[in-house]
This record gives sequence, C-alpha cells and structure tokens, in this order.
Amino acid sequence: MTDATPVRLHRRLGAQLTSQHPIVVTIFALILGFIVGAIIIITTTASVLDAWRGIFHSWGAPGHAIRLTFDNVGAAYRTMFTGSVVDPNSFWDSLTTGKNWSVTLTPISETLTYATPLVIVSTGVGIAFQTGIFNIGANGQAVLGGIAGGVVATMVHLPMVIHLPLALLAGLAGGMLAGSVPGILKAFTGAHEVIVTIMLNYVVYAFLLFAVLSTPFQQPGQQNDISRTFDGSAQLPPLFGTASGLRVSYGVLVAAVVVVFAWWFLDRSSLGFDFRVTGANPSAAKASGISARSVVVMVFLISGGLAGLAGFVQAASTTHQIDGGFLIGNAGIGFTAITIALLGRNRPMGILWSSLLFAALGVGGRAMQSQTGIPLDLATVIQSVIVLFVATPVLVKEIFRLRAAPVATIKLATQGWGS
Amino acid sequence: MTTIDVMRLELRGITKRFGSLTANDQISITVEPGQIHSLLGENGAGKSTLMNVLFGLLTPDEGEILINGEPVQITNSGDAVRRGLGMVHQHFMLVPVFTVTENVVLGFEPTKSLNRVDYRKATEDILRLSRQFNLDVDPDAVVERLPIGLQQRVEILKALSHDAELLILDEPTAVLTPQEIDALMEIMRSLAAAGKSILFITHKLKEVKAVADVITIIRQGRVVGTAEPTASESELASMMVGRDVELTVHKEPFSPGGDVFEIRDLVVRDERGLAAVNGVSLSVRAGEILALAGVQGNGQTELVEAIAGMRTVESGSITLNGRDITNHSPREVLDAGLGHIPEDRQRDGLVMSMSVADNLVLNTPRRVPFARRGTRDLAAVQAHAVQLIKDFDIRTESPQELVSSLSGGNQQKVIVARELSRALEFLVASQPTRGLDVGSIEYVHRQMVEHRNHGNAALVVSSELDEVLALGDRIAVMYAGKISGVVDPSTSRETIGLLMTGTKVEQPHD
Amino acid sequence: MGIVTVAESTTEQALAPKPEGRTRVIAIIMAIVGLSTLLLFGIGSAATAHSTLNFSPINLSSSPPLHLGSLTLPTRWTVVVAALVMIGLGVEVFLRRPKGFVMGRFGIVAVLFLLALLFWAARTPGPSPVPFINLTDILTGSTEVVMVLIFGSLSGVMCERSGVVNIAIEGQYIAGAFFGSMVVSTTHNFFYAAIVGALVGGLLGLLLAFLALRYLVDQIIVGVVIVTMMSSLSSYLNLQVLTPFPQYNTGNLAPNLAIPLLSKIPILGPVFFNQSGFFYLMIALVALVSFALFKTRYGLHVRAVGEHPHAAATVGINVARVRYINVVLGGAIAGIGGVAFMASQGQFQPGYTSGLGYIALAAMIFGRWRPSGAVVASMIFGISVFLSYTLVSYQVPVSIYVLQMFPYLITIVVVAGLIGRVRPPGADGIPYHRD
Repeated sequence: MTDATPVRLHRRLGAQLTSQHPIVVTIFALILGFIVGAIIIITTTASVLDAWRGIFHSWGAPGHAIRLTFDNVGAAYRTMFTGSVVDPNSFWDSLTTGKNWSVTLTPISETLTYATPLVIVSTGVGIAFQTGIFNIGANGQAVLGGIAGGVVATMVHLPMVIHLPLALLAGLAGGMLAGSVPGILKAFTGAHEVIVTIMLNYVVYAFLLFAVLSTPFQQPGQQNDISRTFDGSAQLPPLFGTASGLRVSYGVLVAAVVVVFAWWFLDRSSLGFDFRVTGANPSAAKASGISARSVVVMVFLISGGLAGLAGFVQAASTTHQIDGGFLIGNAGIGFTAITIALLGRNRPMGILWSSLLFAALGVGGRAMQSQTGIPLDLATVIQSVIVLFVATPVLVKEIFRLRAAPVATIKLATQGWGS
Repeated sequence: MTTIDVMRLELRGITKRFGSLTANDQISITVEPGQIHSLLGENGAGKSTLMNVLFGLLTPDEGEILINGEPVQITNSGDAVRRGLGMVHQHFMLVPVFTVTENVVLGFEPTKSLNRVDYRKATEDILRLSRQFNLDVDPDAVVERLPIGLQQRVEILKALSHDAELLILDEPTAVLTPQEIDALMEIMRSLAAAGKSILFITHKLKEVKAVADVITIIRQGRVVGTAEPTASESELASMMVGRDVELTVHKEPFSPGGDVFEIRDLVVRDERGLAAVNGVSLSVRAGEILALAGVQGNGQTELVEAIAGMRTVESGSITLNGRDITNHSPREVLDAGLGHIPEDRQRDGLVMSMSVADNLVLNTPRRVPFARRGTRDLAAVQAHAVQLIKDFDIRTESPQELVSSLSGGNQQKVIVARELSRALEFLVASQPTRGLDVGSIEYVHRQMVEHRNHGNAALVVSSELDEVLALGDRIAVMYAGKISGVVDPSTSRETIGLLMTGTKVEQPHD
Repeated sequence: MGIVTVAESTTEQALAPKPEGRTRVIAIIMAIVGLSTLLLFGIGSAATAHSTLNFSPINLSSSPPLHLGSLTLPTRWTVVVAALVMIGLGVEVFLRRPKGFVMGRFGIVAVLFLLALLFWAARTPGPSPVPFINLTDILTGSTEVVMVLIFGSLSGVMCERSGVVNIAIEGQYIAGAFFGSMVVSTTHNFFYAAIVGALVGGLLGLLLAFLALRYLVDQIIVGVVIVTMMSSLSSYLNLQVLTPFPQYNTGNLAPNLAIPLLSKIPILGPVFFNQSGFFYLMIALVALVSFALFKTRYGLHVRAVGEHPHAAATVGINVARVRYINVVLGGAIAGIGGVAFMASQGQFQPGYTSGLGYIALAAMIFGRWRPSGAVVASMIFGISVFLSYTLVSYQVPVSIYVLQMFPYLITIVVVAGLIGRVRPPGADGIPYHRD
C-alpha cells in the first residue's frame, strides 16, 4: 500500500492516453480524417495514381510510388499548415530580421478571420443542440442576417459608433427572423424543424438573389448579383490596421463576447438551465413548470440570431459586400457549424477550438488549392469524415483499441417526425 | 386436446453479474409438468433478470438450463420459443397497430406462394386455439383498441400458438381488476390441468397463495427457500424481505381540518379522445391523506396529470385553497403550492444526466435564493442540497453526483425531499413506492404520514391495495373514469375489490 | 454536459394543439389564396383575354399521340372557376373540419393556384412571349420531377417503415446522378448506370445503417453529414474529373420508350406510356414495394420492427438485419432516383438536385408512409415544382426568385399542417438495443 502511489500515478497517466477520454478520441478522429483525406488525394491525383498502378513494373517502382505519395500528400498537408498557421521559414526570418511580420502572420490572421463567424454561428447551433433542437437552418439564418445587416450597412448612413452596432444588430435581427419561422412552427404545430429549416434555407437563397439584384441593394453600375459595398462606417476594420495587410478584424471581439455570453448563459443563467433541462428530459421539464413552447421559440431566436450575426460579421470583415453566392451550398458556415458544434461537444470552449480547427482546414485548404491545385472541397470532405468519427467514439475506440472508460457519448435520440 | 409433450424445466446454478452487481446468484429451480410454480420476490430481487436469462435475452455467467433432463443453450428468444418456452411479458410484446392475427402469427406466419402471408389459415388456427383453451378473441381487432385484459389474452394465445409447454407469466396482474385476476387464475389452472407448466412471477402474496402449487422465494438474487401455499402471509413476507416486516404504518389519530383541495365533475380526455376521467368529484381536508385506489388504467394517470397542469381539462374544476387551478400551466400550479411526486420518476420527476443538487431545485430554479434576476446562485443551490441530503438521508457521494448513479430508492428520496421541503399547500403522490425495495417503501410512507401529521393534506394514488389501506385516512376507489365509492380504511378488501370493478356498494355516509 | 437528447414526441405532443385549431388556419389560408386568385387573375384580367391550351407535345420525337386541336378558353372565367373551387374548398374545411385529407385539399389548392397563375400568364393579349400553354408538355415535364420524388419517397418509406430515418436521400441522389452520368457517358447504357446508381446509393445506405445501428450515432446527424459530404465530394470530383474531361458528362438524356398503341392517347398517352425506362422501373418498384410491405411475410416483419422492435425481437426476428436490409435497399432506390434525375437533365451539375431529396421526405410524410400515398403526394409536390419553373418563361410580374420559393413554401405549410394528423411508424428513428 505504501509504494503503490507512484505506480498508480504512472498507470493513471498511461490510462489517460489510452482511455476513451473525449480529447483523445477527438485527436484520433482527426488523424483518421487526415488519413482518409490522404487516400482521396492519392486516388485523384493522376501522377500518383499512375505510379501506384505501375508498382509491379520494376523494383524501384514501389519506392517511387511511395515517395510520390508522400510528396503529394506531404505537399498538400504542408501547404495546408503553412497556409493556415505559419510557415516556419518565414517565422524564423521575421524573428531574426524583424521584418516581414505581415507575411508571417498572414496565415494565422486568415485563420482567425475565418474562425470568427464560425465561432459565432456554431455557438448558436451548440446552444440549440443542448436543448435538443436541431438547427439545420443556421445557413439560411446566416444569409438572412447578412442581407439585413447589409441593407443597414449600405442604405443608412451614420457615424461608425452608431452605424456598426446598428448593422450588427440588424444582422442579429435578420437571423432571428429566419429562426422564428421554425421556432414558432415547432412550438405551435410541432412541425419537425429539419424539413422546415432546410426548405427555408432554399427560400432564403432565392431571396438573396432577389435582394442582391434589386435596384436599391445592387451595386450601381453592375448587372451581376452583387450588392453595394458596405459603408466604411459599417465595416469591421482590421485589428492591426489596413496597412498591416492582416485581415483579422474587430470581429474577433464580437466572437469573444459571444463565447463569454454562451458560457454565462448555459452555466449561470436560469433560461440556460431551462434549455439544458429541456434537452436532457423534455417530460421532466414540462412537469417542472418549464414551458416547452417558450423554450423552443427562444432557442430558435437565440440560435438564429447568432447565426444571422455571424453572417453579417463574415461579410463585414472580409468582402464588405454580399453576392448571390453568399454562404451558398451545402458547405456553407451554417452546415459547418453543425459539425463544429458536435466536435466541440456543444460547449463554448470546445466550439471555440473546433472553429479554429475548421477555419484552419478551410484556409489551409485554399492555400493547398492555389499551390497544389487540389480543390478546396477536399477540406470539406475531411471535415465531414472527422465529424463522423467524432460522433462515433465507439468506432474510433475499436479502430485504435482504446480502453473503454465511462464517458458520456454524444447521443441524440430522435423520434421521427413528431406527431 | 393434443398435447403429448410435457416439460420439466430445471434451472441449475444460474448466475448473472452486471459489473459488481450480482443479479442472480446460483439460482436453482425446478418446474414440474402441469405445475403452477410461483417465483416470489420483491422488486429488485432478480426475477426479471432470471426470466431474461431463461428467455435468451441475457447470457448467464454460470449455470445451466435443463429441459426434460437435457442441458440446452438458449441464445435468443427464437431459441427459447422453439424449445417450448412461452413468455407473457409484463409490458406486452404486442405491436399496437397490428391486428390480433398479425400479432399472434408474427415470426411464425403461415405462407402462400411468393412469400405472402396466409391470413385465412392464420385466422383458422387462432380460432381453433382460442376455442381449445377458452380464450375468446376477435382475430381482426386492432390490438391497441382492446382493453388491457383482452390484450393479455392475446399475449397468452401467442405463446400457446408457438406450442409452448411452459408459460412464464411475468407480473401479469399489475394491470388487471380483481375479477380479471380471478379469470386469469382460472385460465392458469386449466392450462396446468392440460399439462402445461406455469412459472408465475409476482410479488403479491395473496395471489401466490391462491393459485400456486409450489412457491420459490428469491431475495437479493438468491433462492432463500421454497414454501407451500399454506404458509402464512407473514411467513412468506419475512422470507421475501429477510426480516419481520411491519405491514402497517403507525399513524396519529385522525383529526382533519377544513377542505384544502377539491375536484368537481372533472372530465379529462386521453390521447385517443376518450374520457379517461369522466366526472370525478372529490375533496381532501387538512391533516388528511386521501388514498385513491384502483387498477392502473382507469383514469388515475390522467387525473394526476390534469391536476399537475400537464393535461387539458375539458370540463369541471380543480380548486386549491379556494383558488381555481383548472387548466393552469404546471408552473402556475407549482407556484400555487402543489407538490407532485410523479408516477414515472425517471421520466417526469428527474433529469438523470444532471446532478442531485440541480434536481433538488428542478421545479423552483428561479426562486430566490436559487436565482436572482435570471442568474443562478450556484452556492445557494449547493447549500440547499447539502441540507436536504442530510435531512432526508439521501445516500449519495456528493451533491454534484449525477442522479443516474443513485439507486431507485434514493432517486425517489430526491423527489420526496424536493417536494416536502417546499412550503406545500397540497401534495399529490402517484404510485410513490413503485419499484422500490421495502426499506425505501417504509421511508416514503413515513414521510407522507409525517406530512399529514403536521396538518397537511395529500392525495396518494396507488394501485397497491396494501399501500392504500396503510396510508389512507379515507379511500376513494376509481373505476372507468369515475369514483365508484369512498370508504374508510376499515372496509374489507373484498368490498374495495368490488368497488375497483365498478360495483356500487351500500356504504355509510362519511 | 455531454449528453444531448432531441425533444421527443412527448414534447411535440405537448406542444401541438389539437389539429382542429390548425385546421381553421389552413382553411383560411386556402380561402385567401383562392380569393387572391380571383381578384388578381380572375377579375383582374381583361374580359377579352383568352388563353390557349395545346395538347401536342413539342418535345416528343417518337410516337407522338393523336393530334388534338387546341382549346381556347376565356381567361377570366376559367380562372374565376378555379378560384371559386379553391375558396369553396377553404370554406368547406373551415365549416366541416374534416378529420382526413385536409392537407390533401390544401395540395389541390396549391396546384390550382399555380395552374391559374400559368393560365393567366399565358393570356393573349398579354406580355408573355409564349402565347399558349402546352398542357401535355407540362404534364410530361412534371412527370420527370414527380418520378424523381417518387424514387426518393419510396426510399424513405422503405427505411422508415423499418424504423430508420433516412435524411441522406439528397446525398444518394447526388451520388447516383454523378456516377450515373459517368457510366452513361462511357458505356452509353442506362441500364448499367441504374445498377451503378443502386450500388452507390446502397453503399451510402449501408454507411447510414452502420453508423446509426451499430454505433448508435444519431440518424439525422449521419444523414445531414452524408449529404454535406456527398455535396462537397461531387463538387470536388466535378472540378477534378468532369470539367477537364467533359466527355464523361455529356449527352446523357435517356431516350423515351414508347408503348405502341397506348402512347397515342392524347394528353395522357405521352405522360404514362412514352417515358424513359426509369419511369416504368419506378412504377414496377412502387408495385413491388407495396406488395412486399403489406402482403408478404418480409413486410410484416419490417413493419413490426418499425413499430415495436422489442416485440419483434422476442419472436426471434433479427431487428438489426431487417433494418440493414431495408436501409440498403432504400438507399439503392434513392440512388436509382438520382440516375433517373440525371437522365432527365442530360448531365450532372453540382447542386442541381436543389433539395428534392428533402421534398421527397415531405412527400413520404404526406403519403403517410405508404407507397400509394407517396405517389399521390409526389405528384402534388412535383407539379408544384415544375410549374414554378415553367412560370419563369411566361414573364409573370413576379420575380423569378419568388417563384422559385413556391415549392419550398408549400412544403413547409404541408409539413406544419400535417403534424397531429399523421402517425409515423412507432419506433421511427429510435435505435434499438438488446439489454
């Protein structure tokens, strides 16, 4: 009993590494995701595929194929890293010469820029998930928020100290409006939010085109589906000034506020407590006096509002206008938000880190595309695979033979269409 | 009568563990052909586990099963059925939207060409079987529209149609009226006379004495002995719980005050649109426990839900201390001073994934001191929990422990603590001791009686006649949505049983 | 906290008022739509306006039907009649509050509205560049959309009847369309394409089943992630493969197979008897699935598993196996649907399925999880979708984007209106575990 203590400590550390602890699972899921990505790169890059096809042709062929594989995959992932975090050479250079910091810091700045709206929208989705609600309409809500904020940013002219907050509020309101539809429908008719939100997404996309081509909102002198440029007083300016070349904007402050709000809301507020109880056990929630109806409506208002805010922040900090393809498609930030929220286990801090990760994947993916020609969609595929693996810790455990520990798994029990 | 095969079932040394818990410990039982063998034990004794093992839903860690002397392996339900075991589950294994025919033939359907089900033949077979064993059913009826007693008959028919030689009846009487229980016992006797073996699982002493040939008593996973049906109830009870059991609770003399709670002509509809509560009137006075007796399924659930604000009242009124609370939201009803111990504690009373502390403030989270202006005061919640854990003897490691790791009894204590620690005008408790071990049952009963002794009023709804007789200062009996009578606790069980089936009985005015 | 549960149907029961209140709302919506039709297109059109209906399909090269002349009707009165029917239905629902077929009536009103709008848009004198309505073309065009929706809703029925929610239909469409296009471009054989479509759809179904049943991942999440994944993957592959090598993605219009005499019937002939092979396949599948689900032993097992898996397990039915089979088959059917869609468009384009997979799910709900109902529902949704697109060429004074919204708005109303009236399979979406 006396010298058991040091042994136990050592065993415990070892146990942590091989346990099914959420962070460990996430890391392993990441590794698996990248492996799958590598496989896709291999099978779709002509030169590599040819090399593998010819591995039996000569003795040096397998080595050649492997080398080519490593080169291509390595190049792809390397550019992903240098494009999203930092290029070590550039960093060393800046450190020693004190110059070119803007070049060195650009990748991180880009990642932060992309992460900012992701954090905001994913927080909203995560809050919804904790209440047991799927907000699959986050993308449409973000678009509507972008439109609303954009309208205020272009058609009203006020000093920045009023204009920017007003535009941000408009973004919030736009998202809340879009979120109110599934919220009210679910609260008063029980309509399952999945179909309603997805259909509403398409409605909003059509509305986006309508708005961006309408005379008041359209960029004067353009026939394309592009809006006016936001007033300078309604843009989110770069943190380090335009001269630095770093795009990371004051949007990060907004994101920081959102994260703090989410933590306070879920952990400390009474309404957040109601949300969590409803998500954990709707029957008990009802019996305890929580009004399911008002919870549902509030959830969609908050979640939608955050998504709308994210949409406007995205536009106001990067392009300073919106076009017909704003956030479009099945890979828009609203859908990424679902996967980020899952990865982050619906908690604010987890969502923060996951957003950074996914932003890095996106930014890195772009760099990869421009430098190696591998399209950006690959990054989205990797993201999806990672999420699937994270949502199934049991699967990851089996693949890596991790020891089972009593860890709460992400498990949502659906009951069809609710009637 | 074509049965030639008979079955002698032997369970030898069956052991099943779940982690550190040994649910079944070296259990050995023998059931002879044509015998009604009763397995008697309280809730949590291990009966369900044993049955699941027998029926192939669980694999035993040790031990073997012998049928007619031969050891057999039962790995799934299909196996069990093929070997002649038939189970009539406590919660029926019937598909609600299917007809009787579809349910009975499921898995063993007669087929025509192209894999089509031969419904004509199926119906013929069912009618033949029902005539043979005197179990009348309409083959085309949709099961969910049948009354519970008939649904059970379908379950039995299903087992018989699989050529079961041994029928396992798992707590079959929980949902039956006394008359239906008698009918079931007749069926059991005639099946046994026809050579079928019956394994009858229950915790009800009276039923066991009425119909069993042999009684095996199981406690905490072990067989503690066998008995003849001639043994006395207290002997059997002692074996069941391991000590001398007090079957009644001490109560102070009854001195009620004025009316606290009143229901008048209440009509409440259930999911199918039928009037589950069909004109109920009752009142409860201060310092009184009104026990509502009745077989489950006669409207009690809907009545309590209506009181708690969880179900719409179609007509009639509910008044608490003169205030009308009909059709008020659960929030308003709770704020008006109603305490509610729900029937299904895990579904309606607790959030399993949250801490004991959070559950202890579950229905008053916004009240000062637990929250101020929308923000929770976690220190106050914690202090409250520490106090209640001490006062109500809740066995838990810390207030932060998840309520899911507590035993059933302690979970119920959390709910009881939560409700009784508030300033209540009125307490409604629904099946408050269901699924609890005897120690916890005693505890809950004591708490309620104390509540009443302090001059408070309570409505206790229970389908356990013993509980009703022990707790009630007055007993109302509910049948088919109406109150069939209000009597005092000295009334005979037979009379109450008759009231539970709707027979109006001459009774003195109270 | 790491455990999240979606509000169960108890919450939805707790939330949804009795359908009667909503019935009134729906009736009012129907009446308002009828009234607007009356005012805007009926009385609002000039008394002299006429609209012409043609019946000879323009697009049919082989085996055209017997020629019927055209029919010219006064715009105003035809629309007024349609509007009165719509208002009448609204009033009837409001007063009588029927228990069944309320949303069905709503669907009829929606279709009538679009038809009236079309009728009005094609009037002469009028701004439309197209001075007539080719009814046959509209019906045959709608049939293409309807067909795709039927494949999808049939897939939904197969999966949900066994208790698994298949949100991934849209992804299975995309997969089928993409790989189907490549196969046809290389082999010029639509039959092979259908097989490949079934394979990829089935594979995605297997993925869904595997993750949802074995690892208990939430079914809706798996579905959404699969759709996102297929969407990105197909976009990626489109850029990598189809754009540099367009020969893998051209000329894939499936030829129509005409049934000799029957295709000559005016109006209906081309619709039912002169369609691509996929159409006939679809009809066969509907019949097959209906038969299998409701007459066979297999179907009884499937429905038992979907309603009460525990009961099924206790009689020895292998719940997991039944679900796997159904989800894979359902996925295969959706995959073929994707190929069919591609074959009606001629090639693959990223994103061109535009949410049809989700509309198919709504059609399945509308059809009460029966193949026959799914067919009727798909017809209503399909015609709405097609009419919305057709209206674009008629210079309607409504922005084309607003027109594009119609099918989705209609779907939302239908889904909201159906809650409380329909009853999904009892165990739909609930994973089943032993122990």
